[in-house]
Amino acid sequence: MATYTLRKVLSLIPMMLFISFLIYLGIELMPGDAVDFLIPPDALATMSAEQLNAMRESLGLNDPFLVRYLKWLGGLLQGEFGYSIQSGVPVATLMKNHLPATIELTVTALVFSSVFGVLFGVLSALKKGSLIDQVFSLIGMAGVAIPQFLLGLICINAFALHLNILPAGGRMASAGQSFVERLPYLLMPALVLGFSLTAGVMRYARSSMLDSMGRDYMKTARAKGIPEWRVNLLHGLRTALTPVVVLIGFRLPMLIGGAVVIEEVFQWPGIGSLFVNAVRSQNTPLVMMIGFFSVLLVLISSIIVDIVTAFLDPRIKLS
Amino acid sequence: MKRKKLFCLLLAAAMLVTLLAGCSGDKPAQDTAANASQPAADGGLGETGGSAQTSGGDAQTAGTPLADVRVRQALAYAIDIDAIVETLFDGKAEKAVSFTAPGDWLNTEIPVYEYNPEKAKELLKEANWPSDYTLDVVYYYDDQQTVDLMTIIGQYWQEVGVKAQFRKLEGDLAGQLWVPPADMVNGPAAVKWDLAYAAVAALSESEFYNRFASTASNNSSVPAQDGLDELIERSNATMDTDEQKAAFKDIQQFVAEHVLAMPLYHQVCFIYTSNDLDTAGSVFGNDQFSYEKNILDWNINRDDHTMYTNGGPQEFFWYPMVNPGYMLSTELVFDKLIRADSSLNPTDGMLAESYTVSEDGLSIEFVLRDGLTWHDGEPLTAEDVKFTLELMLKAPGTNAVASETMQAITGAADFMSGAAGDLAGVAIDGNTITVSFDKVSANALLVFSQWPVLPKHCLENADPAALQQDPFWQKPIGSGPFMVDEVVLNNYATLKRWDGYYKQGTGNIETIYMFASGENDSNLVINATAGKIDYAWSKSTDEAKAIEALDSMSVNVANIRYTRCFYINQFPHEANIK
Repeated sequence: MATYTLRKVLSLIPMMLFISFLIYLGIELMPGDAVDFLIPPDALATMSAEQLNAMRESLGLNDPFLVRYLKWLGGLLQGEFGYSIQSGVPVATLMKNHLPATIELTVTALVFSSVFGVLFGVLSALKKGSLIDQVFSLIGMAGVAIPQFLLGLICINAFALHLNILPAGGRMASAGQSFVERLPYLLMPALVLGFSLTAGVMRYARSSMLDSMGRDYMKTARAKGIPEWRVNLLHGLRTALTPVVVLIGFRLPMLIGGAVVIEEVFQWPGIGSLFVNAVRSQNTPLVMMIGFFSVLLVLISSIIVDIVTAFLDPRIKLS
Repeated sequence: MKRKKLFCLLLAAAMLVTLLAGCSGDKPAQDTAANASQPAADGGLGETGGSAQTSGGDAQTAGTPLADVRVRQALAYAIDIDAIVETLFDGKAEKAVSFTAPGDWLNTEIPVYEYNPEKAKELLKEANWPSDYTLDVVYYYDDQQTVDLMTIIGQYWQEVGVKAQFRKLEGDLAGQLWVPPADMVNGPAAVKWDLAYAAVAALSESEFYNRFASTASNNSSVPAQDGLDELIERSNATMDTDEQKAAFKDIQQFVAEHVLAMPLYHQVCFIYTSNDLDTAGSVFGNDQFSYEKNILDWNINRDDHTMYTNGGPQEFFWYPMVNPGYMLSTELVFDKLIRADSSLNPTDGMLAESYTVSEDGLSIEFVLRDGLTWHDGEPLTAEDVKFTLELMLKAPGTNAVASETMQAITGAADFMSGAAGDLAGVAIDGNTITVSFDKVSANALLVFSQWPVLPKHCLENADPAALQQDPFWQKPIGSGPFMVDEVVLNNYATLKRWDGYYKQGTGNIETIYMFASGENDSNLVINATAGKIDYAWSKSTDEAKAIEALDSMSVNVANIRYTRCFYINQFPHEANIK
């Protein structure tokens, strides 16, 4: 396993270089640059080309594309993440400030969706065709079909504006608040995000469980006189979890990339909204670092998924 | 960078052209020649002074049909802006007959192009409007209302036989919109479009009209006009309000007669207040800029004495060079030398206890109040004022009105070029600061009532070219009635009433809680509905309608200098749509 992991980790390097170049190129090909965001369009008419050029020069935007990319890469290799073009704040500081909010939101939603998704999916499979199965299937369909922003707005309307029991948005009302005090702010965005994610896990878990329930090894286990609950949990669920783990594993990059839609709807000050603003304002250093870490996490998730899958299913060999 | 982009674009364009040529065969671009061969028409209303391009004849011979004033008049006659204001904007805007909003500054005698499609058709016929010409109309706003407006206007023009295509500009807007031609008399145009939908958020009347001068660095659309430069010069050469008004009225007459641009409507400012807030009879005004709101006298009906608003920092507090007052935080954290009223007229002193303008208007003397300090306790002195003026000269993003005033200060050119180490026109004698000008700066008092004094001890090492990126703007220190307290970027920030302020009000607001937002706050209505907005403003009619429907909120309207218009490219240029 060690050789496998090492080989995989080493293969990340050229892949990351290539992807980072693609992201940088993508930003470069977008029309305009960061200065176009710093000066509102209506005010642009009052500025001369020399003034705008002076701003570009001071922000290092006049260097050729490759020079800027290599400078960024050189900085990264020396552990420097660069500075936000808009605010001059170190990117590392921005990420450090926004990451806790995103992790708080996404971990809650991921745990909620993983636990309840697997639970409801397995129950649904075990009670296939029953009322419970039909209700869960309906919930699953709704979770997949209703867009997150719509569900978010419905919840804000109901719980914040009409019932007035939860705040409409934000993460906290005062920087000194404890997690428990901040919980009302977290509840609605985490549950809305969790609901959408639960639906996917539930459907995967149900179909996977149904698949494994019909397998020969389940019949063998039953024939050996093992109680039904043990057959389902130890033999059925273990192999049924393989595709579910893959699905959950590939959601891990959300921890860095954030949940853009939910963060926007609920005014959640996480990485997602930071990323959206950075892309809008062509804040290259910030987009690069968030993009870089998101991609890195995707690749790492893929390795983790491989390892966990091999652990869950003895038939799978890492090679 | 630009060359690289240009190359990519050229490559893509070449490939596209090759592809199209392969598909549809050769089609020579002969529109211009065909247009040029059309017979000349008689002169129309454009005969009243103006350059060769606007003085009638056949528009095509001038290199663009839009050079003919009759065409421009026809385009104006063809639009029923009253109907648009009533329907699209629900009456929450005002039809514009000039860039200048109704009031003292407006010349009511200027020509008005009321909706008259028959007249439009007649003028187009007289001008031999080329029916195969398609106007290239550009805009840069990304809201649905703009798209709707463009669609409606396109239909109005189609009804009089004018085809138009609308496209949204992306990227380098300044380069695409406002680059003037090398030759301001004969062109050709340095921009490609025929009409550009834009807005002018003006602090002073001069911002509307200075751009029509042949020397303006942003005049990309109007060729030099006989007599107009002199009129503009006259408006800029006096600090006397009556003289300014007279000059601007003449300019309005000229602009309207020649339809140098097409004002469409004036946007208003909607100011939202909650029923929990008592603003002590304050007069609301143009919230895009700073004016005296007497906020220290306001009362909030909350036990914690907290007033909720928006405009909190997302990534930083906006520096004031471009927009000095459109964020409430800038207005309340930083004081100016002079106070302005709700109409943005300079009134009495703010940081300056008094100010005196010399008879010839070439110097202003400010006397600072005694014992002024910054929020961090450091003394606020005349050196801070001088430092701020120097910084405004060096910072590339300084607003045009302020920049013009700064550049009129004696010694500004030497200071900018590095020939002088400091700004010679600013003399300090204790608490007295005398600012001397080489020429009268018509907007000087206005500028000193809007641009705040900044702390030298915090910013003296900042790079003026990257001022917004200085760490200072993460939690700025000012001298206004409220100081920055808590900052959680992209979430909220709080301002705290500052005990050290020179004036104590009668109100009870101790804390101002600001939700993070940009100028356009997509969460304004939700937060207002949730009872978390006590004071805010916007220019959005949709938001005004939504908040108007809330029992807990009131909507106040203020007329502002904000005019939406079409700029018309009258310089010779090839048709962009063929």
